[in-house]
Parts: sequence; structure tokens; C-alpha cells
Amino acid sequence: MASTAAGEAVAAFTLDPAKDDASRRLIARMVQVMYPHAQFGDEPYLRTADAIFAAAAATPAQKVSFVAALHDLAQAGFADLDDAAALGHLRSIEDTPFFGLVRSTTVVTLYDDPDVWAILGYEGPSFDKGGYVNRGFNDLDWLPEPRIEEYEAGR
Amino acid sequence: MTEIAADEDAVVIVGSGAGGGTLAYELTKAGIPCVVLEAGPFLRNEDYHDNEWVAFRQMAWLDARTTSGSWRIAKDFPVLPAWIVKAVGGSTTHWSGATPRFKDYEFKTRTTYGAVEGATLLDWPISLEELAPYYDKAEIAMGSTHRHGRPPLPANNNYKVFANGAERVGYKLYATGPYATNAEPYDDRPASIQDGFNFQGDKNTSKWSTLVREIPRALETGLLDLRPDSHVVRITHDAQGRVDAVLYVDKDGGLHRQAARAVCVAGNSIETPRLLLLSESNRFPNGLANSSDQVGRNYMRHLTGSVYARFDKPVRMYRGETMAGIIADEAAHDPSRGFVGGYYMETLSLGPSFLAAFAEPGGWGPDFAEIMDAYANTAGMWIVGEDMPQAGNRITLSDTVRDQWGLAAPNVHFDDHANDVAMRDYAYEHAQKLYEAVGAVGSHRTPPYPSTHNLGTCRMSERPEDGVVDRWGRAHDVPNLFVSDGSVMTTGGAANPTLTIVALAIRQAEYLAAELKAGNI
Repeated sequence: MASTAAGEAVAAFTLDPAKDDASRRLIARMVQVMYPHAQFGDEPYLRTADAIFAAAAATPAQKVSFVAALHDLAQAGFADLDDAAALGHLRSIEDTPFFGLVRSTTVVTLYDDPDVWAILGYEGPSFDKGGYVNRGFNDLDWLPEPRIEEYEAGR
Repeated sequence: MTEIAADEDAVVIVGSGAGGGTLAYELTKAGIPCVVLEAGPFLRNEDYHDNEWVAFRQMAWLDARTTSGSWRIAKDFPVLPAWIVKAVGGSTTHWSGATPRFKDYEFKTRTTYGAVEGATLLDWPISLEELAPYYDKAEIAMGSTHRHGRPPLPANNNYKVFANGAERVGYKLYATGPYATNAEPYDDRPASIQDGFNFQGDKNTSKWSTLVREIPRALETGLLDLRPDSHVVRITHDAQGRVDAVLYVDKDGGLHRQAARAVCVAGNSIETPRLLLLSESNRFPNGLANSSDQVGRNYMRHLTGSVYARFDKPVRMYRGETMAGIIADEAAHDPSRGFVGGYYMETLSLGPSFLAAFAEPGGWGPDFAEIMDAYANTAGMWIVGEDMPQAGNRITLSDTVRDQWGLAAPNVHFDDHANDVAMRDYAYEHAQKLYEAVGAVGSHRTPPYPSTHNLGTCRMSERPEDGVVDRWGRAHDVPNLFVSDGSVMTTGGAANPTLTIVALAIRQAEYLAAELKAGNI
């Protein structure tokens, strides 16, 4: 997600970022800078942005504080910062409730995504497929086969 | 299911996990009717989900809790000090399965280690020799691999890395067990299909739990009245100071009373002392059975930590039994390492969902992403060692926070002891060296998870003033009140506690049955 893909900066103060595409892309860019994975593409980050908007709408107070912080992020020109500058900007706000909400929501959303699991090489549920017993639970072949019994002299 | 009348003086067991479930089976098998009150729902194996967060929300004890103290948990997971289960079968439904025994010296740490500043070390009132026959019974009940003719589990990928590393750094005491999951069919349960899910409940029923063994067999006797969704909120006593009933809340908030001839509390080491503290009265102003002021104190949660190591080749640690790999070489008392007591290394795997949440709580940025990017090439282990009991590490009742019933929530206070820190640092370093020996390109030290081994808050002691219960788990202050879970552990040892909890419960059931039949209770 290069900075140009973040599109034009958020034009005006928005009370409903979930319906505002520029806000969605701005938060997705923020998450992508926080958790950079070249192979994820845009979609997992955009889905995470949606989850963040839902979490941010828990109470009017939280929503007000979130949209104000989002507006600050847009005004700082975050969408146009390169990776290094964007990372630097986020380090400067890492102790804010806004950043905390984005981080804590992301960590249980971005990596809880079946598409992301597939990219990371995690196969997930296996019971319905008979487990991994015949599907590679012991297919590691770059080390010798180790002993599985307890050490004789140690018994 | 048998029904025991509310006004019938029954043996009442609070909790259905390793302690309560085992006790219910052993007592009903001996012909003694029991009521088991389980706070959580009656989930069956087929109800489980092979999905980390879905399963967590389904199974975990999520009632209000608070934390304090210098432990990192208070910052990272302030409302989740412990990760235990609220369901029939208790935390045996989500445990991994490792079943090492306590070692001889771990029953007499005060004698073996000497005085350790700031620690409330105390010798157990019982010895390994006394518990050994019950360890045998527990291992046979649970089907521990490598024991009593049970074959070992095969090596999975995570174990291959772990065991080869162990061999290269000179460890000898490594194996795929002992581990209470079937390598071959045993006790009417199938062999493991290595499906990779343990903490989420075992859909395949290969793993021992009281849900698959003790609870159904106790029900078959016709002597067990099992009541799920029954959260005990108070134990009452008569004018002589003997317990006479428990009060509990059903899932709709309705209050019930069950008369009791004896009460056995097995709610895990946070809820058990909390219940005793909530049961204060004029006779017991500081909480039931708490004349010693020891109820809730000496809370231990084991010295834990994890190391996740990255390789330039695939590992796929998530395939197979989660903890079927144990190294015991460091599980010894050798003060030359800079600490007393010892620790085990055990294989561990998390899926990406949990690894992201727990690998480095609060972490973000390119370094964090690197940990996650390497997922398929990652091997993991858990460090589990003895932590020091301390008087101030303590479960108390919150002054401000209430649970869903309006009862004071438990606060869990924990400060790391210097010995805990020294052991953890040493263990991290040696775990990283082990992985480097098999070619790790990087590794990460993960802090302790919300506690799964909660111990010591109603400890066994020879003298009443030093603890809460005697050598049988019988309250020093109340002759017909028993504690039947890990709360009774005088010290924590290094071993995963479930086997010891089961062994103690089998032994307690034998004693209690004899006392009941003799009319002493």
C-alpha cells in the first residue's frame, strides 16, 4: 500500500469514518505501517480498519476522541509519508488512547484472518480432515529423527 | 442422573476439574452419593471449536477479576490474570497434557533450599514416598505415555527441533512425554490424530480430562448429581462451626441452597480462596477456615516464559500435540546456576491469532512483523519452573469491582521474587542456546501468559498457623471442610500440576470415604 494508494487526504472532519473511504484507507495505512507485511496485500488491512471503526464506536465519548485523533492524523499528512517517516510519526503518538485502540484491535483482528493464516502458512482447523497425523505432523526432514523414549540411564 | 434433595446432607463438591471431578468419581465409585456444583456450562467435546479466540470465548473463565503488583501481567492483561476454564471438566478440558511428578526434594524445599529471603517456603506435611502410590493410580487413570506400559507419542515437527537442540547442547532427559494423551487406543478412547488443538478442548477425546473419564463414569454409578451453571457464592456453617450448606446461583441469577454433610472446594486457586473469603461470618470474621490469615496468601503461578525461534526452513509447529516434548535436565536443585529450584522445558505451539496476542504484548513495528512473518518456520517452547511462595502474593476481595452477581471480584496480586527473575533469565538464555545449536536465525523471549498453573492459596501445613489445610486437605479450622485443588500445594515444584492434583484427590477421596463410613464426618 504505497502512500499514493492512500488517495487524497481526508477532506474534512468526519463523524462517520466507517462510511468514508479516505478514512478507511488512512487507518489501513496506519495498520500497515504498524504491522508491515509485504505479502498481505491491501484487503486484510482494510478489513482490520473496519474492525477498528466498530471498536471505536463503542460509546459516544470514544467515538468523539477517535474521530478527533483521526482528523489529527489526516492533518499531519500521514497518508503521504513514506514508510520511515510514517513509522516515526506513529512512535510519537504510541502512548495515546487512539493508538492503543488501533493496536489492541489490530492484534486480535489482522492475525485472526483466515486469508492471513494462509499467507503465513498456517492451516488452522484440522479435526474434520483427520488431524495432521497423516498430513505432515512429522514431515520435518532437515534434522535427524530424534529419540522419543526417555533416556535409559536417567530412568 | 440421580437427584439429591436440597435438604439432604450430601457430600458437596465445588468444581468439576482435576480435583473436583476426580473426587466425584472416586467417592461415587466407593458408594458415596455426591452433588457436584460446577459454575460453568456442560460443554461436550463435540461442542468445541478449533479456533483460538472462538474457543477462548466459549471456555475461559471471564468473570470480573483485577490485578496488582509488579508482574507484567498487571500491565498487559489487567483483567485476565489467569487463563482457566469455566465448564464441566474445568481446566482439564484445555490443559496440554504434560504429567511429570514432583521430585522428592520439592516436598521439602525449606529444608533443601534453606531460608530464602522474602519467600515463605515450607516443607509439605507429606513426602513423595507417601504420594507415590497415588501418582501410579493417577498416571494409570490419565494414561500417561511412557508409564505403566503406555507407549510414547511419536515425534512431531516442533519436537524434532526441540529434541535435536537438546541433544546438541548436551541434555539427556528429553522425551515426548510423560503426556496424558493416547498414542494408541486406551481406556475406551482413541489415539491422538495430532490435530494441534489442546487449549481449545480436544474434539477427538484422545486427551485425558475429567470430562471424558471421571464425570461420565461417576454419572454411570447413579450416585452423582451434577449441576452445571451453578456458581457457589457462600458456604454456611452451624453453631458448632461445622459447614452445613452451600448457597449457589443458577445461570438466571436464582439463589439455591444445598445442605451438606461435608464440602470439598475445588474451584482453582483464585476462586477457592475467594469463596472462603466470601463466606465470612461472626465465627470466621476473616473468612471461613482462615484463623491463620493464610487463605489467599502464597499464591504461585509457576515461573513461566516462552522462546520462539525462527529457522530458514519450515517447522510447522502447529501440526501435532501441543506439548508432547519435555526436557527434564534443568528440573533439579543446583544453586550454582544462581537460583534455587528447577524448571522444565516443554514444546509449545500457538496459532497466529494467539502468537500475535501473546508473543510480545503491546509490541508493534517491523520487529514484531518479523516474528509473525516467520510463523511457518518457527519452533516454540515453554519454560515452567518453581516460583517462590510469598506472603504478599495474594488473592483478596476487591473493594470496588463486582462480578455479574454483585459479589466482590478477586484481586490477584503478584510480585516477582528475585529467584523467579534469575531462573527465568537463565532459562531464556539456555532455551535460545538450544535453538541456536540447530541453526536458529533468530529467537524471541515471550513473557509469561495469563497464569494457567494457579497454586498455593490454601496451603497444606503440619501446623495450623502455617497454612489452611492439613495433610489430607482438611481445613485446620473446620473438620468437614476440604480443599481439593492446586490451592493446597505447599510449594509449587517445577512439574505441571495436574497429575499431582489428581493424585492428591485420589488420596483425599480414600481418606474421606473412610472417615464418612466410620461416622467421623
